[in-house]
Amino acid sequence: MGFRSYVIKRLVYALIVLYVILTLNFVLFRVMPGDPTKMIIDPNFTPEAKAELRSQYGLDDPPLKQYVTYMGNLLKFDMGLSFSTRRPVWSELKERLPNTIKLFLCTFILTSLTGMRLGVKAAANPGSFTDRVVITAGLFTHAVPTFFIQLLMLLLFGYYWPILPIHGTMSAPPPAGGWNIFLDRLWHLVLPVTSNMIVGFGSWALYARNTMTEALGQDYIITARAKGISEKDVLYHHALRSVLPPIVTLLFMSLPGMVSGAVITESIFSWHGVGRYLLDATLQMDYPAAQGAFYLIALAVVISNLLADIAYGLVDPRIRVGAGGAK
Amino acid sequence: MSQQTEPRSKSEERAAAVKAATVAVPKPLTFWEQYRRKPQGMVGLGIVIVYVLIALFAPYIAPYDPMEDLYLADRLAAPAWMAKTSAKFKDAPPTIRMNLGPDDWVREEVDDISISPYEFPYFDGVGMEIVLPQTHVVEVEETVEEDTWEEEEGFWASAATDWDPWGLLESNEETEPSPEPEDEYGFDFEPEIDSGIDASAKKLLLTYEVDYDYTPPQTFSFSFDYSVDAPSSAETVIMLELMTPDGEVFDVWDARVYGSVESGTVLVDARDYDLKMRLGQGFFDEPTDILFSERGTYTLRLSSWTDSKEGPVTLMVTPVKFEILGLVHGILGVDHMGSDLWSQLIYGTRIALAIGLSSAFIAIVIGTSVGLCAGYFGGAVDEVLMRIADVLMSIPDLPVLIILGALFGKSVLNIVILLAIFSWMGIARLVRSQTLSLKERMFVEAAKASGASGGYIMREHILPNVMPLIFANLVLRIPGAILTEASLSFLGLGDPRVPTWGRMLQNAKQFGAFTRLAWWWLLPPGIALTLLSLAFVFIGNSVNEIYNPRYRERS
Repeated sequence: MGFRSYVIKRLVYALIVLYVILTLNFVLFRVMPGDPTKMIIDPNFTPEAKAELRSQYGLDDPPLKQYVTYMGNLLKFDMGLSFSTRRPVWSELKERLPNTIKLFLCTFILTSLTGMRLGVKAAANPGSFTDRVVITAGLFTHAVPTFFIQLLMLLLFGYYWPILPIHGTMSAPPPAGGWNIFLDRLWHLVLPVTSNMIVGFGSWALYARNTMTEALGQDYIITARAKGISEKDVLYHHALRSVLPPIVTLLFMSLPGMVSGAVITESIFSWHGVGRYLLDATLQMDYPAAQGAFYLIALAVVISNLLADIAYGLVDPRIRVGAGGAK
Repeated sequence: MSQQTEPRSKSEERAAAVKAATVAVPKPLTFWEQYRRKPQGMVGLGIVIVYVLIALFAPYIAPYDPMEDLYLADRLAAPAWMAKTSAKFKDAPPTIRMNLGPDDWVREEVDDISISPYEFPYFDGVGMEIVLPQTHVVEVEETVEEDTWEEEEGFWASAATDWDPWGLLESNEETEPSPEPEDEYGFDFEPEIDSGIDASAKKLLLTYEVDYDYTPPQTFSFSFDYSVDAPSSAETVIMLELMTPDGEVFDVWDARVYGSVESGTVLVDARDYDLKMRLGQGFFDEPTDILFSERGTYTLRLSSWTDSKEGPVTLMVTPVKFEILGLVHGILGVDHMGSDLWSQLIYGTRIALAIGLSSAFIAIVIGTSVGLCAGYFGGAVDEVLMRIADVLMSIPDLPVLIILGALFGKSVLNIVILLAIFSWMGIARLVRSQTLSLKERMFVEAAKASGASGGYIMREHILPNVMPLIFANLVLRIPGAILTEASLSFLGLGDPRVPTWGRMLQNAKQFGAFTRLAWWWLLPPGIALTLLSLAFVFIGNSVNEIYNPRYRERS
């Protein structure tokens, strides 16, 4: 099985997952107790007016037809009108998407780089201070609630020493000049990104440390050292290269979790993003908006899973050749 | 052991060694003996035991019910120990709350006025039944009296025109009772009841002294209910005053009753405009600038007198509730509703443990069954089950939990079930892979050959072998469940009827813990969460090290 057929298989699989999620999304919002149309149709309307509205919204169509319409609309990114703002959900999401992506990318890159750098350093110097930091951080990363650290940092840097901006993506009157705007936006990223990093880097650091420690014990490292290659080269060109594939895969596999975390981060720092939109829409029972936001998030997760699979296949030929079939 | 002295051949020695080995191997260190040597594991176990004990004895440790006992102190009151340690809360008042009954009041003795205790249903403390005697007055003077009262009755209007309570009070005392001594006949009243107040109207005066030795509070309040049973021509005055340490008297409430009144409710609150007007203040002034603004002894005065010519007047007064909401309270202060934070923290242990344990358990049960079936039966069953697991795994759990939690209603049970539904996949995969290798082993083959059913083999042969894995994963799943539940609660999707740590943090964020720098509200629940999760991680890691040395990495 070649790489191409492997990718195609994963692609088909991703589409199936997406399809199932969308179907669930459709079904869930229709089997739930209560009538969602109460939100938009005034109960004082006459029965005729209600029926008229219902047929306008397509709610009287047979479920199958509704389902087909729903799917077709989603393909066109038509998610209907938000109940609360009466604006197209997609145009609302479009506004927020860049913010979320910005936050997400910064967090992702900084967290993974810090984690791997520290992990490699810890593996190179077992028992050192860095090593202990990495081990402790690895323990805490699964035990500390992210939002707690974020709240603490909010309290410290937003209220005790109000030095960092604590909410929003930019200052209320944005500063003049393109460069200043850029810096202002970057400045607003500091707190959300660092707080995520503090909690998140531990798992990657620990993973990198453990795989590196294992790699450093291998024969080829001893050979490399015996050849007189500098320790740095041994570390980064020999050991790290061999453990990079699983780490890269892990990076991609952690994407869904980070998407989940974005909801909390965005709601704590009042970030004008998709995650907070989902939360607000859900709490306000704004179903089209919640559905749309969830669709977007699910799409992101499915794509990142697909990327993880492809990356895995790229870096580990065994997967696409053997294991792919023998699953 | 007994043949130590005998010379042994090599084969005998080897046999003995093998025997020793076989004795040693089936009886390795028990699980507990191994576990005892893991310091991490022991620390984790210790923490969990402490938490369990706290959860069990929560009602004894927590002084209040976090959901029922509200308004224990002023909103966002600081911990009580802050009054000693922090300059900001130095000498801040704790909550002062009393129900003043007949035994508490100091009564100026007056003849003919009888006070007897009376138990009211639905009221704490003992109320009073007061009988004021009939008065005998000449009509001419009464008109004067009435006029002044009329004026006072309209305190709404009069307050607007620079109303001085002290001055009015004096005018009362002068105009109203002064005519009466002359008209008294045959009555031997005590002249020294109150300076200048005539007693023919049989003024009742109850006083209560409050020593106030704190910084000014934000609010105070008085409340009681009363009823008057009097002849229809009678006029009765009830009045509540507060005397500052300087001797200044402020009329905080009064009522003039014509005839009978079934029930009247008195609520004097420092936040009400009513009181501010009486004190001659504007809308944005604080009554606490005048009352309880300095330290000393404040005297509460409840007085009543009547002009009833056709018979005695019976006054029923419920216990007078006097409260100053404290600015400091308890071990951790209170939240925005005046609910005790320490109690919330303690009761939160119960929910966290219950949710963590039960949802991890359900997840493990689902995961194990799915993994066993998929691994054992293989083929289509395997394919379908694992695809379901894959799909569920690709769904981002927090967003979907947010939506489902909102759709199915915010209850603990729903959260537990949803958490379990979205967390069984990892364990299913692990169990499946173990089962795949186990089912090729000889003992399974043997069982199959002897005609055992699939269910029997899975239950009796495979399950016991995956048990260690399951056990370690059960423990390692708990922190995830606890933290996810906390996140949901923090996002406002928790059960509103139970006190959880996530909700504490949500309230802290939402109701001003940050602007007040109330770290005592923020830190405890977060640390409690972290410690509990950490304890389970410790235990899980130790169990894994003992049972599954290969699975040391956490997934």
